[in-house]
Amino acid sequence: MNHTARAFEYWFASIPGLTDEKKILLRSCMKSGEAIYYIEETELGRMKFLNETDRNTIMQEQKKRDPKEEWARVTDSGIWMSLSFEETYPARLSCISDKPYALYGKGHLPKDKEPSAAIVGARACTAYGEECARWFAKELVKNGIQIISGMARGIDGSAQRGALTGGGTTYAVLGNGVDICYPREHIGLYTDILAHGGGILSEQPPETKPFAWNFPRRNRIISALSDVVLVMEAKEKSGSLITADLALEQGKDVYALPGPVGSPLSRGCHFLIRQGAGILISPEELCLDLGIVEKEEKRGKKTETQKVLETKEDLVYSSFGVSPKSVGQIVEEIELPPSEIIGILTMLEMKGYIREKAKNYYVRCGEGARVCGE
Amino acid sequence: MGVSTVQSAAVFGLRVELVNVEADVGNGLPAFHMVGYLSSEVKEAGERVRTAIRNSGLEFPAKKTVINLSPATIRKRGAAFDLPIAIAILTSLGTVAQKDTKGLLILGELGLDGTVHKVPGVLPVVMEAKKQGICRCMIPLENEQEARLVDGMEVTGVQTLKEAFEWIKGTKKRRLSQQKKKGMEVSKGKVYGEERECAEEKPDFQDICGQSAVKRAVEVAVAGGHNLLMVGPPGSGKTMIAKRIPTILPPLTLEESLEITKIYSIVGQIDGQEPLIRTRPFRSVHHTVTKTALTGGGLIPSPGEITLAHGGVLFLDELPEFRKPVLEVLRQPLEERKIWISRTHGTYLFPANFMLVCAMNPCPCGEFGSGNCTCTPGQVRGYLGKLSQPFLDRMDLCVEAPKVTYAALKGKMSGRKTAERKGETSAQIRQRVCAAREIQNRRFSDSGTGFNAMMSIREVEQYCKLGDKEEALIQMAYERLGLTARSYHKILKVARTIADLAGSEKIESMHLAEAIGYRSFDQEYRGGIL
Repeated sequence: MNHTARAFEYWFASIPGLTDEKKILLRSCMKSGEAIYYIEETELGRMKFLNETDRNTIMQEQKKRDPKEEWARVTDSGIWMSLSFEETYPARLSCISDKPYALYGKGHLPKDKEPSAAIVGARACTAYGEECARWFAKELVKNGIQIISGMARGIDGSAQRGALTGGGTTYAVLGNGVDICYPREHIGLYTDILAHGGGILSEQPPETKPFAWNFPRRNRIISALSDVVLVMEAKEKSGSLITADLALEQGKDVYALPGPVGSPLSRGCHFLIRQGAGILISPEELCLDLGIVEKEEKRGKKTETQKVLETKEDLVYSSFGVSPKSVGQIVEEIELPPSEIIGILTMLEMKGYIREKAKNYYVRCGEGARVCGE
Repeated sequence: MGVSTVQSAAVFGLRVELVNVEADVGNGLPAFHMVGYLSSEVKEAGERVRTAIRNSGLEFPAKKTVINLSPATIRKRGAAFDLPIAIAILTSLGTVAQKDTKGLLILGELGLDGTVHKVPGVLPVVMEAKKQGICRCMIPLENEQEARLVDGMEVTGVQTLKEAFEWIKGTKKRRLSQQKKKGMEVSKGKVYGEERECAEEKPDFQDICGQSAVKRAVEVAVAGGHNLLMVGPPGSGKTMIAKRIPTILPPLTLEESLEITKIYSIVGQIDGQEPLIRTRPFRSVHHTVTKTALTGGGLIPSPGEITLAHGGVLFLDELPEFRKPVLEVLRQPLEERKIWISRTHGTYLFPANFMLVCAMNPCPCGEFGSGNCTCTPGQVRGYLGKLSQPFLDRMDLCVEAPKVTYAALKGKMSGRKTAERKGETSAQIRQRVCAAREIQNRRFSDSGTGFNAMMSIREVEQYCKLGDKEEALIQMAYERLGLTARSYHKILKVARTIADLAGSEKIESMHLAEAIGYRSFDQEYRGGIL
């Protein structure tokens, strides 16, 4: 398809207010975007699946927009488009009933042949959820699993950071145009995802602002692109549970991370478990469940990652629970001079057992949790 | 009758210029002229002087009087020229002999009844006069003690113009003999500023419940003169701790004491009876402060808060509430430890070697990090966004002051002995601080560096040598914790102080690890990932 033809396709795909279903029908009737651009009103009237509003929208868009200029702008910023009937369109996505007509993106699409997992959860999450998201993502990518998420604050962002730390690829499905980084503070993450061979995807055409109503819908893409959905932390009524429901509709496995009873952020996960979702015990167990790793392999790995702590470090480390702790609290609990405790905390942080969440507030890392448990 | 000259002086910033006050009373139409680039308060001196002379029972003939203050190129301000003008007129009239006023520095403001009022800046003026070979001075009685701080200066305090006139004429017995100077030992470097015993209750570190990690950080900061940032929820005792910092500051040496007294003399904040400032200044600045109030300013600049905190502590509570440009002006003096203020008629240098102590909440609600924060990420970012990264980089130590638990409040820490519960007294901490400063004094005896925080990069290389194990540790920290070159040097300096406190020649890995734990927070904390 040449540049001009592609421009007309883009023009058609990005018409707002026309549902994906109607777009697919119209495109299959007219065979090209260019034909739709030059369609007469009378001919459009013969399309029985279009109503008055749809027809008006299309007529207006014909007059209002210049496809070539717009498409040139989009391609200049490195954005591509994949239409639902094309070969590039992700196989996983074409299976679902309400697939988007077009998918825009930067970077790459998830590889159809390789396993993928979605990690989703609350934006306002706890340190525990964040650490676990990081840990699972980091370990899963080591087994060649692609991580799909929404690049939101909280769990999403942590999972994708974790995936990058583990040296894997991760894909973000946004609710806004792919040329906009939302939330803004994730600009570093945004560029890192692209730099590490991942992709930023969206069904919204470029330059679409982050409107709240677009976000729940993009969750269906997240779950559709994944083989399994992991819910790290979710309140009883939350977007993460929407994703879980969609995943179940699409026939995907859903796993939930158990958390402290009484934490509102773990309630959603516990409900999912009651409904039959899988329980996240550790990344290894998950890989075993998914049949990605054989049992023997797992054993070998276990001893390898075992780390040894010095007595004092162990003493300080064992005072950590699920929630973050400040230096002051630890000093009160342990009979060591503050100077020494601050030093030990630094050592623990550098060894990767704990992480500094806020100034002098430390939290146990996911990996650390495992080492201690064994 | 004829031209007479009297010696006086003017203060420009911290610099003193000697000024000759010339008077000529001669025939002509009765008039009173004053020239010599005078500001309006000096011009008004004419009326005061004329009336004061008449009210002192002296004669002021209706003649043409011209006063000139030389050098005429520098602008004269303040009311300290009243007395010298009056004496100059009396000399010109022949009431006082010119030889009696030779080599006599005169300062003082006059009231209409002839009373001599106190003036600011006496100490620096007298010190400068001494340097220029003048060894007699006549100043307001209220400033007498201040002037007496200068060794080898013959000081006369006067209360009225009449007294001044009589003293010059020699008819009045000299006050000097009555109040023979208390012998003050002036030996270089000697610790002088030990406080007098005070009956009233002084704040003490013992009053602080819990917060031992913060107390430790304060000790390190004071020992090395490092800047300190305390982060914590409201009510955790940050301000209380800051208020107690002066109690553990090392005592002043005489030179330091005089330098600080000089500054306070210029802004007129000196106790007439006990002029010498013996304790290190602790300046707590409100967040509505302006740039000028902080750095110093005015047509003829006067010292700002950073100069008033010279040799001591500048405390900024509720740091993000300060306007951003106000904080940014601190950046340069924090590096150079002095501030240049430029005006069209000259540049003024003020010392500003202070230790910066700041306190702030981690977010608008104050609970950030503890998991109970109700702020949105946008709010947190907005709050912390008021602090620029370059400013945060200048904080050597950053420590969190958590909420005080009930157990700590009641001193019921599990398994602690009674003595430990109470916490250390300021005196105990100060002892360790002084020992650490002693080590630093010896280390930097040949250079201008005063303490560890002032070390140049070359000195850091020289004095902060690391062993193999420590080298590996800092390398790991650099890579894993994302340090910058600036924070790397800061960590080494702090580690040096911690080693000094421990009395260790070598920086051990434990010292280094503790120093890394105090590093300033970075971008991620500032709302990157909540």
